[in-house]
Amino acid sequence: MCEAQIICRLENIHKAFGQNQVLKGVDAEVRKGEALAILGPSGSGKTTLLRCINFLERADEGTIGIGGLKVDCKQVSKRNILNIRRKTAMVFQNFNLFKNKTIVENVMEGLVQVKKIPKNTAYAESIKLLTQVGLEEHVNYYPSQLSGGQQQRVGIARALILNPDVILLDEPTSALDPELVGEVLQTIKNLTHTGITMIIVTHEIHFAREVADQIIFMDEGIVVETGSPKDVIDNSQNPRTRQFLSRFTETLNKAAS
Amino acid sequence: MRVLDIPFMLRIIPELLRGIPVCLEITCVSMICGCLIGLATALFRIYKIPVLHQLSSVYISFMRGTPLLVQILITYYGVPVILRWINYKYGTKFDISGVPAVYFMFFCFSLCFGAYLSEMFRSAILSVDPGQMEACYSIGMTTPNALLRIILPQALTNAIPNMGNTFISLVKDTSLAFTAAVAEVMGQAKIVAGRSSKFFEAYIVAAVIYWIMCIFFEQILRRLEKFSRRFERDQGTSLKVNPAAHPKRTV
Repeated sequence: MCEAQIICRLENIHKAFGQNQVLKGVDAEVRKGEALAILGPSGSGKTTLLRCINFLERADEGTIGIGGLKVDCKQVSKRNILNIRRKTAMVFQNFNLFKNKTIVENVMEGLVQVKKIPKNTAYAESIKLLTQVGLEEHVNYYPSQLSGGQQQRVGIARALILNPDVILLDEPTSALDPELVGEVLQTIKNLTHTGITMIIVTHEIHFAREVADQIIFMDEGIVVETGSPKDVIDNSQNPRTRQFLSRFTETLNKAAS
Repeated sequence: MRVLDIPFMLRIIPELLRGIPVCLEITCVSMICGCLIGLATALFRIYKIPVLHQLSSVYISFMRGTPLLVQILITYYGVPVILRWINYKYGTKFDISGVPAVYFMFFCFSLCFGAYLSEMFRSAILSVDPGQMEACYSIGMTTPNALLRIILPQALTNAIPNMGNTFISLVKDTSLAFTAAVAEVMGQAKIVAGRSSKFFEAYIVAAVIYWIMCIFFEQILRRLEKFSRRFERDQGTSLKVNPAAHPKRTV
């Protein structure tokens, strides 16, 4: 792997909801253009970690550095929260498209409102990107008129158009029925060739192994194991990881034999 | 003996209709001011802005906890007293008798309905999926920007049926303004009735006029509601909506 610069660094992230300590000092590093997949059982804190990165949750402790901006979560200003958010974009589990905006308006919104790009330029760019994700025929629909898979592709386009340093994907296929998962995964897979940096929380282990450059396995608020997909998924030495992956590897072995 | 003097009723219609402009004036001014007051106080309370948040709560509690009739009378008799005191204390020269009574009614109805609308807006804003705000934040929008462009439009859509009810109530409640010597429909009816002693007839005509006005507004509100729900799936149209039905925004 080439030694590209580190674009996102998390250090010692702590987060508690009341008495419940969800993150107990998580460190992570992502290099530019890399796809990082975060795996782990439910309740292991992976989604919380992702949401801490763009301050949808405020971490209690730790530092977050993205693209040259480093902030201490204990004493971060509103201005810097906004700056961090403008260096990232998120794809949500349940899409969260703006319900009162058409598809193209959803994608344009960030360009026009945040990046202050003229409307006609933003419109043209949005159409171009929506065409890339195969939605050119739906640009004037409202989100409620699209299938889940289509909505999630809009969600990806809305994040992508801002050209963020890091795209955060929070279980992007978990709310989709099995038939629609494929089209969304394919869209994400295509992104890995564009050099965009991604952090993906997912349950699609097979997918993670295919697209991720680096995998983090989390359990109970700590990082259990970090490494290449090969190290973590295929040859894990850690009992907890092996236990979690056992069902997946079993089916894989069955398919192989 | 006849129960109703129909010819008399027909004759007095034009006189009662003369009260409609005042009635609509009070309704529209109070609705617009009430919406602004309501929206502001709702946001103060949702975002717990210090001081303003508590003041809003007290204001809403008072306005909802006292009868409109009492509020009208307090305004009508109280504001001149306060103005006179201000004139005395600060040597200003407000012309107390020069203020038309209907201005007092604008003030009173706006404050009263602002309180009801505030609660309506608050619940409507809170009913918007929190994910919408998170999506705004995730693309780097500021809170005011997100409110203005995403949250409030959706909240208003939710609020429209209730706002319609309030509007209709307001139309009817303007009849209370006659107690402050404002000659709206009810005031006119009272004048006519007093002159002829035909109270029953005059009030029935007034009732019919209010009814017709409210039917008219109900129709408008129904259309408004339909328009505001155009982006929702369950609007009576099939899933495969013709894109031409949503003309491209001029950009």
